[in-house]
Amino acid sequence: MNASPEVALRVSALSKSFGRVTALDGLDLTVTTGEVHGFLGPNGSGKTTTIRILLGLLRADSGTVSMLGGDPWRDAVDLHARLAYVPGDVTLWPGVTGGEVIDLLGRMRGRPDRRRRDDLLEMFDLDPSRKARTYSKGNRQKVALIAALASDVELLLLDEPTSGLDPLMESVFQQCIQEVRKQGRTVLLSSHILAEAEALCDRVSIIRRGRTVETGTLAELRHLTRTSITVETRDPITGVETMPGVHDAVLETRHARFDVDTAQLEAVVCRLAPLGVRSLTSTPPTLEEMFLRHYGADPADGGAGGAS
Amino acid sequence: MTGTLGLLRFMLRRERRGLPWWLLGVALLWLTQSGQSQNLYGTPEDLAELRSTAEGNAAVVVMNGPARLLDSIGGEIVFEMFGFVAVVLALMNIFMVGRQTRGDEETGRAELIRSARVGRRAPLAAALALAGAADLAAGVIVCAVVVATGLPVGSSVLLGAATAVVPATFAALTAVTAQLFESARSVYGSAAALLGGAFALRAAGDAGSGALSWLSPIGWGQRIYPYVADRWWPLLLPLAAIAVLTTMAVALLDRRDFGHGLVAPRPGRPVASAAFSNAYGLAWRLQRTALTGWLAGLVLLGLAYGSMGDSMQQYVDDHPEIAEFLPGGAARVLDSYLALTIALSALIASAYGVSSVLRTRGEETSGHAESVLATRTSRLRWLAGHLSVTLAGTTLALVAIGLGEGVAYALSVSDATQVPRVVGAALAYLPAVWSVAAVGVLAMGWLPRAAAAAGWTVVGYCAIVSLFGDSFDLPGWTRAASPFDHTPQVPLDALDAAPLVVLTLITGALLAAGYAGLRRRDIGY
Ligand SMILES: Nc1ncnc2c1ncn2[C@@H]1O[C@H](COP(=O)(O)OP(=O)(O)OP(=O)(O)O)[C@@H](O)[C@H]1O
Ligand SMILES: [Mg+2]
Repeated sequence: MNASPEVALRVSALSKSFGRVTALDGLDLTVTTGEVHGFLGPNGSGKTTTIRILLGLLRADSGTVSMLGGDPWRDAVDLHARLAYVPGDVTLWPGVTGGEVIDLLGRMRGRPDRRRRDDLLEMFDLDPSRKARTYSKGNRQKVALIAALASDVELLLLDEPTSGLDPLMESVFQQCIQEVRKQGRTVLLSSHILAEAEALCDRVSIIRRGRTVETGTLAELRHLTRTSITVETRDPITGVETMPGVHDAVLETRHARFDVDTAQLEAVVCRLAPLGVRSLTSTPPTLEEMFLRHYGADPADGGAGGAS
Repeated sequence: MTGTLGLLRFMLRRERRGLPWWLLGVALLWLTQSGQSQNLYGTPEDLAELRSTAEGNAAVVVMNGPARLLDSIGGEIVFEMFGFVAVVLALMNIFMVGRQTRGDEETGRAELIRSARVGRRAPLAAALALAGAADLAAGVIVCAVVVATGLPVGSSVLLGAATAVVPATFAALTAVTAQLFESARSVYGSAAALLGGAFALRAAGDAGSGALSWLSPIGWGQRIYPYVADRWWPLLLPLAAIAVLTTMAVALLDRRDFGHGLVAPRPGRPVASAAFSNAYGLAWRLQRTALTGWLAGLVLLGLAYGSMGDSMQQYVDDHPEIAEFLPGGAARVLDSYLALTIALSALIASAYGVSSVLRTRGEETSGHAESVLATRTSRLRWLAGHLSVTLAGTTLALVAIGLGEGVAYALSVSDATQVPRVVGAALAYLPAVWSVAAVGVLAMGWLPRAAAAAGWTVVGYCAIVSLFGDSFDLPGWTRAASPFDHTPQVPLDALDAAPLVVLTLITGALLAAGYAGLRRRDIGY
């Protein structure tokens, strides 16, 4: 296992199609050891497909994947000893109890930790003696989470691990992940819950239609989006609407409202200053707006934001 | 009760794929039985002879019903068919009512329905109406079929009424168990166990004084004695039972919460047992219930076949002209009979083998395999775990057939050495049964989505070749494609090891090829 120790997993130019459906179309993803990496994207963008390839369940059409220094397809069994997985669609055997599922998966992974298991059962408030068919959606999710968190592994692959959990359990989950981070373990976390991504992730990758559109810390990503400006001036405003990076401008002689790419903010403010600014309000993008923009618009054409 | 009619229409739509087959199957059973019996026992002397043989053979009475039915040819047909068809139709009722009530509640589909303008009792009412309509259809069809084969109309109407009412009792019974248990499986299981009990009471009663038969809905139906005494009043018993059970079901329904049962489910193990720790433990745990069911069914089938052996011998002794048609001639009537029945049972064992392979495939499509294969369990180990059940399970299935048939036959001729002989004969089919299952594994490896179609096609093909190969004069190559055709028909033929070794090698090759496919393909599709 000879890859740089810094990189827990590296995916480049990964493609995968199912018949005529292209699920992944040149996806890149790098996760450094010890970080919690958010893996975000709209429904059907290819998150689950990527994780299944990382598990060696699906075979990539092209591209390279290396994880924990190995090849997920070739070295699947050895790598699986070092990782734990929570599937996006948790289905349990209806006649088997939650406790049995946790034990079975723990034993199959190797080195089950009985103490940790019991602690987690308590933290997540799960009754392990019920048959899986009687669990609610959230309780099924807890079974999969506990099975993954109870194991002492280097890498956690979590596909929407908190879907169906109530807010109390969500916070328990966040505690657990913080603890995992402290221990220097690596997490790839696919999620639709932005607050969760913001609270947990060191870096995020946003993918769309099987391609990575952004990667970075949340602060970096914020920088890439737009700020809304409302301004009133002494002199009439001219030419602002044609400046690069300005969108959706509404002009009324001495009053203007527009959105501006955060990178172009400085240039626009310089242009306004000589006009004698009477009042100016600027609204930084909320996380939601930021995601809506990335999820909804095609980044290549730099077009108007918002979900369409 | 609001919305019952709409629900009924919806349920009919959902049942339209299965229901016609049940009805068609029942019609065919009566049609063939009626034709066959009228040919075999056309004269009163033949019937009288049959009756004296049957009365002397408890096993025949236990399997069929009261010997009094043998007083007329119509009664003879009822004797052979009614109990069996009643069980088949009762199972249809149990599954239909269970699926449409508790089954829907368990999957959550009912929640969606109940949130619409549908009353609390509507799903139960619609399910019972559906079952009632199906039973009525079955009654009309059976009546029409037997009248068409020349039996008197009046008695046939009584037979039709019994055919409708007896199984309907089990619909009402399932309506009750559906209120008691939370899981659909317990609902089916408890109703099927009661059906088994009803059959056992009838069997014990008919073999003894007859009193116990009056505790069984199947016994009630037979005591109408259609074509013999034509009594109508025993019909009142199942009707009363239906009324009582339905009232009970409604009362229980009103006393329980949606999604819950009146019997709290037993808590399971909070910690897995030591055996439940790898692919093998998992596969056996998942498949053991189905395997037990198949084994029980095959033992019963074997007992039924075995108990008839001795009467078969007597019958041929009395009618030497029949022996000409038997492959071994008069001297080897019993060996031909044993060989034939074992071959038929082995086909059923191969159906079990395919169902077990498809259970493995089901693990994949349901997403369960994904969790397992994301651990240190390799694809080979996962497959091996499930295959261990398939291969050992089919072996046990053949042993079950051999034991059932061997023990029943040994008892009827008082010769214990028949037991190992018949078990051995059944086990001769092991390579053939394995090879059929292995075709399923091959399909699972390379054409996973077609695995079910491929597996059942092979079973169907082998069945057609075995059952009709001679009568339809199929060309040689079509027969050679069936592994059953290469298995020596022990005990009629001598045991020849060579084809068995070849079949085992082919099985090994198919399994290896199947694994090669599984290894290189995507999991879950
Ligand atoms: N087995 C399959 N057959 C055909 N298409 C598939 C299959 N699996 C996935 N896809 C397609 O691949 C694309 C990516 O799906 P994927 O499940 O990876 O998305 P996702 O990002 O996980 O979405 P979600 O957020 O809804 O979970 C989708 O268009 C999906 O329809
Ligand atoms: Mg997904």
